[in-house]
Amino acid sequence: MFAVQSIHSSIAKLKQTALALSIGLGMGVTLQAESSPELIKQLQSLKSNDASNQIATDTIKQLNAANDVTLIQSLTAMKGATPVGRNWLMGLANSLYRKSGKSQTAELNKFLSDATQDGEARYTVFKWLTASNAELRKTLLDGMKQDPSPELRYLAISEAVQAKPDTKELLSLLDSARHAEQVVSIIGVLKEKGTVVDQVKQFGFLTEWKLIGPFDNVGTVNFDKVFPVEADWINGKVKDEYESKLVADGKNVNAKWINESAKSEDGTIDIAALYSNEKGCIVYAATEFDSEKEQDAELRLGCINGNKTWLNGKLVMSNEVYHTDMKIDQYTEPVRLKAGKNQILVKISQNEQKEQWAQRFAFQLRVSDSTGKAILAKGK
Amino acid sequence: MRFKLRNTFARCALAFGFAPAVFTSSLQADWPQFRGPNAGSVSLDSKLPTKFGGESNANVAWQTKLPGRSVGGAIVIGDQVITTSSSGMDQRRLHLISVNDKDGSIRWQQEFVARGRTNCHPTSAIAAPTPVSDGKYVYAFYSSNDLACVDLDGNLVWYRSLSTDFPKAGNDVGMSSSPIVVDGVCIVQVECQGDSFAAGLSCQDGRILWRTDRPKQSNWASPVAIKLPGGEQVVVMQSSQDLLAVSPKTGKTVWTMDVKCSSIPSAMAAESRLFVPAAGLTVFDLSSAGAVPSKLWDNNKLAANACSPLVVGKRVYTISRTVLASADLFSGELKWQARLPDAKSIWSSPVVAGNNLYIFTEDGKCLVVNLGDEKGEVVETNDLGESVLGSPAISGNALYVRGVSSLWKIAEK
Repeated sequence: MFAVQSIHSSIAKLKQTALALSIGLGMGVTLQAESSPELIKQLQSLKSNDASNQIATDTIKQLNAANDVTLIQSLTAMKGATPVGRNWLMGLANSLYRKSGKSQTAELNKFLSDATQDGEARYTVFKWLTASNAELRKTLLDGMKQDPSPELRYLAISEAVQAKPDTKELLSLLDSARHAEQVVSIIGVLKEKGTVVDQVKQFGFLTEWKLIGPFDNVGTVNFDKVFPVEADWINGKVKDEYESKLVADGKNVNAKWINESAKSEDGTIDIAALYSNEKGCIVYAATEFDSEKEQDAELRLGCINGNKTWLNGKLVMSNEVYHTDMKIDQYTEPVRLKAGKNQILVKISQNEQKEQWAQRFAFQLRVSDSTGKAILAKGK
Repeated sequence: MRFKLRNTFARCALAFGFAPAVFTSSLQADWPQFRGPNAGSVSLDSKLPTKFGGESNANVAWQTKLPGRSVGGAIVIGDQVITTSSSGMDQRRLHLISVNDKDGSIRWQQEFVARGRTNCHPTSAIAAPTPVSDGKYVYAFYSSNDLACVDLDGNLVWYRSLSTDFPKAGNDVGMSSSPIVVDGVCIVQVECQGDSFAAGLSCQDGRILWRTDRPKQSNWASPVAIKLPGGEQVVVMQSSQDLLAVSPKTGKTVWTMDVKCSSIPSAMAAESRLFVPAAGLTVFDLSSAGAVPSKLWDNNKLAANACSPLVVGKRVYTISRTVLASADLFSGELKWQARLPDAKSIWSSPVVAGNNLYIFTEDGKCLVVNLGDEKGEVVETNDLGESVLGSPAISGNALYVRGVSSLWKIAEK
């Protein structure tokens, strides 16, 4: 009996080897036969480049043809995989689910209930399990308002808000919500019910700024130019005044720092209003953030204009994009805050488009943790 | 018999190294890409109903509700109607869905998570480009610059995150340029204010065979494959700063012209002419192999704001907001204009079956216009009750309409 099994196993391995070799020869790549778990590991660590793509294309061919790889194996492998690798694994998982997923309900339920598994994989499993089971969907979502998977949490909160909860429940949902549009939406519903939430504090917008400008950006050519104020700020020593661009009246005046507080509930600094709708110019905005401790955080910027952001003298964001959109959390960047005062500088670059929809000159910035929950400055 | 008879031509074409661009539109042909065979938007032999939808649901063979939303079109390969969707938080979930032509049931689905930007205008979607197929594989591209290749059973062949390769690619209005496949190369045009480029990727494994910088301006137009008199195929790309042709295999420039083209409607070729939305409509002579095409005519009364031009017989048609124009394709002489009643906003490039033009509006109306020599007459206004922004597909005697949230098959009952 064991001898027969061993022969079958050997034949299976030979077939796998032949398959791998034939694929390898077909692709002009030399391959070694590997087991399905080893092949899955290759997908986990994938990057997006040509060499990776060649390997991954061969690997997925072998996995699609293999009989020994399981749906749960492919889903479990998504944990710790690169973002690109997760999509390859999800592609494999979708094929496996079509083949045998509906007979694996118990295993999938167990996988979904394990909150330590990859959030994208769990959301995918949730959709499979609840596609034709509205009751199960409701039951599961009821317990997912603080789920570590952003997608499951978002969906759970969306459904809960639609169920017209009372104010107490809404405040609880607001505490759990991380997605910016969802937070704004809940605050709006609370307002309709007579409960006003401090949106600026909820998001942790930075509201107190010092601005200086306008500096020359005619022809939109100076986005990367290091103006003296920028160099001085990076070196930690700024002057009170700098030479500005020629403004509309043709006079060359010195630019001075001005203090500005965000007045709107979305923390927007309206630069156009401060600088007489000046076009073809650059304005710098500086602030400091007093962090309770050294910690990981994210800078989350919304800006309708070209922008660069520095934290403690280090460039952390650069987006030379004009007039496509401005929204909360439009650009996010993970950073490490030091304990105490952190210096933040934003360079905002306006072009010279004349269209009515291309006149805004504005930005908003907040500090959050990696999930989007506000990190407030010391004493706020 | 996975491909069935009507896909035989596609298989032969592949076997002999031809690309979808050489398909001719015929009754049983696939509709493999944005605007169909040759990007012509025409299926002359097809007989479609002029009256459909509405309260009676007339001539609706099936309607299949799909996840999320889409503003791209569907394609038809054999007995599969294939489309994309984006759903969930920030439309991060990218779907590729095959629907059985026979009954509208879902045959297979693939799904990925967007790795690039997912901001877009509320009327748009991350599923904006129309997928493309070479008859063997399907290539799905999204506004987030995720590009996936699957076989006709929905199994992943390869995946590429172009926003991981080029992090500043994208714009927050949403990208919508549809990919094409020529000579075993999948070509994408990713033009924006950040990392702006066009690239050719190996259909076999997604390797980037070539990449060329493009103007740093937002552009939603799609590339188009054209065949030169010598038989060589080239890819024509347009932008607000240039018009050029490149070799599909190498990306090398075949010719380039300083032409300021529209950035939404796309060019098309017919009758050895290239029709380019520029200065209204500008037409170039493609009869000389390899040479820079010379301008034949332009006419600023043939401007198109969103819909791509199309050619039927000896006429070229364009739509400017709610005005349909017909001109002589040899001289550019305007023959007639017709105001389109009840057409508030049109984003979907129209298609022609027989002698009727099918124009879908953003609010779900379909105006059927009979194309006469002397005038265009709206013979029917149908209502699907669902927003349509993608260009429809035609195969056989059926029209396939990708609404924002569902897929429709329209055919005479």
